[in-house]
Amino acid sequence: MPLDVESIRSDFPILGRKLPNGKQLVYFDNAATSQKPQCVIDAMSKYYSEYNSNAHRANHTLADEATTALEGARMSISTFFGTSPDQMVYTSGATEAINLVSYAWARENLSADDVIVLTEMEHHADIVPWQQLSKEKGVEVRYVPIDTDSFTLDMDAFEVAVKGASLVCVVHTSNVLGIRNPIERIVELSHSQGARVLLDCAQGAPHERIRFDDSEVDFVAISAHKMGGPTGIGCLLVKKDAMEQMGPFMTGGSMIKTVSTDGSTFQVGHAMFETGTPRIAEAIGWGAAVEWLEQFDMKEVHSHINRIASWTAGRISEIEGITVYGDPSRNDSSGAVSFLHDSIQSQDLALLLDEGGFAVRTGHHCAQPLMNALGVPSTNRASFWLYNTMEEAEAFVDHLSYVADRFSDK
Amino acid sequence: MSLIVFLTSDEHFQDEWSRRQNMPEVRDWPEKLLPIIEEFSACFDSMERYELLFQYAKRNPSPLHPEEWNEQNQVLGCQSRAHVSCSLDDEGNFILRGGADAQIVQGLMTITAIALNGMDPSHVSAMTPDFAEEMGIKSSLSPSRANGFLNMFNRVKDEASLLSEGE
Repeated sequence: MPLDVESIRSDFPILGRKLPNGKQLVYFDNAATSQKPQCVIDAMSKYYSEYNSNAHRANHTLADEATTALEGARMSISTFFGTSPDQMVYTSGATEAINLVSYAWARENLSADDVIVLTEMEHHADIVPWQQLSKEKGVEVRYVPIDTDSFTLDMDAFEVAVKGASLVCVVHTSNVLGIRNPIERIVELSHSQGARVLLDCAQGAPHERIRFDDSEVDFVAISAHKMGGPTGIGCLLVKKDAMEQMGPFMTGGSMIKTVSTDGSTFQVGHAMFETGTPRIAEAIGWGAAVEWLEQFDMKEVHSHINRIASWTAGRISEIEGITVYGDPSRNDSSGAVSFLHDSIQSQDLALLLDEGGFAVRTGHHCAQPLMNALGVPSTNRASFWLYNTMEEAEAFVDHLSYVADRFSDK
Repeated sequence: MSLIVFLTSDEHFQDEWSRRQNMPEVRDWPEKLLPIIEEFSACFDSMERYELLFQYAKRNPSPLHPEEWNEQNQVLGCQSRAHVSCSLDDEGNFILRGGADAQIVQGLMTITAIALNGMDPSHVSAMTPDFAEEMGIKSSLSPSRANGFLNMFNRVKDEASLLSEGE
């Protein structure tokens, strides 16, 4: 059933906002962070106003309610991602999830003889942890290039790079290009070499239902704030055999079992990796977000976003001077539409779009190796989610055409 | 049903009228800035002001050409590239040379150079950048925007301060 977008929009009070210049907000920066439905705002507010307390290890009523809500959220979130709560580690987001694999799994299991395979389209968060590991342990890091005509991964190069690899780290969907990588083929090739696979799903999870237990992926990193949840929380999904190979990373707080002057013992499973006081309000907020998302068929969500992105990319590529990077016309592409104008610098263009009420992102999008491959320093990026409308996209195309006509060098 | 409501030109007018009513009374700018501020104030709306700024970007009286851009003269903290070089002429007057790849920053740089070139460096170091707000380019003044004007202006003031101390 098609999405009732008008009804969806009514759940997001911020979408009715007008900017200081009086223009109606048109929010097209969803790949950076999504807006939050009222139920998420309410759930977090209710926690702070009615039962704020530290979770676990207490017998009073508020602590019991906070613990129940925290663990209830874990159940909702893990169920949404098709796995069990004991395979989910709360983190601050996808970046911390990737760093957790780097510190808790890779440093325990990899040495100078090992190879890690990355791609040119990774976010910095999935590059720098491995560069640091390489410096520390001598692990070889290989990069799979993209085909700059199709904007897709060069899978022939991947087949060569994966030979002898121990770990393959790949982005599910590019935050710049909107391209969804052939994950199933990547996992098959990686596992045939005995390599584990880490999937960065920061951009994929808001578009596609992740079914972790049905997949062969070993690690999945997710951020809540790009899928209706609050900032500051995310998770790492881990296969049971991989979790058994992980050692403690950060220490203290919830991960402790016992401490004496002779030494310490730690919790096992996901609890070993959740240090300090949990992000209780954020977890509760994310739980509310996934429960809200459960009412939709994620295939419909994807189709809606893909349709707007594909239409927008097609129309803006007809504007003189505009080049689109990526291929939103592919059925599996996300809602990210990156583009540049040949004579209006990207920062200028972003300000001129903002004057019309359109919020888009500008810069290298934390993907400088990809920018180098594309031969550009930055792009403008419009990115859509389930509450965006074709009317908004039409207004955006009209305003961009107007700006290009008025401000380009003639 | 369309979910978007766009401003009519009447609303534009009201917005513009309100902006002008709220302008500060104090005008402590270098004299050379006054006709420029007047020119921007006469613009119908923000897009016309940005268009004028793009025109100023092409009229820099003392440009720093891209081949002269280097790490030493780069303004840090900008996502776009901006470079400035400050010096004194034979009579000890301040000279700002600058260049940026973003036209909005380049336009503000041009106006800054028109205003400051020829001044005593000690006066430059005491300048404030709020003439941009007076011109109606308020968004360029927000430090959270990564467009670099504020960083550029602060760098110019710092260099003017050093030059006035004879360093």
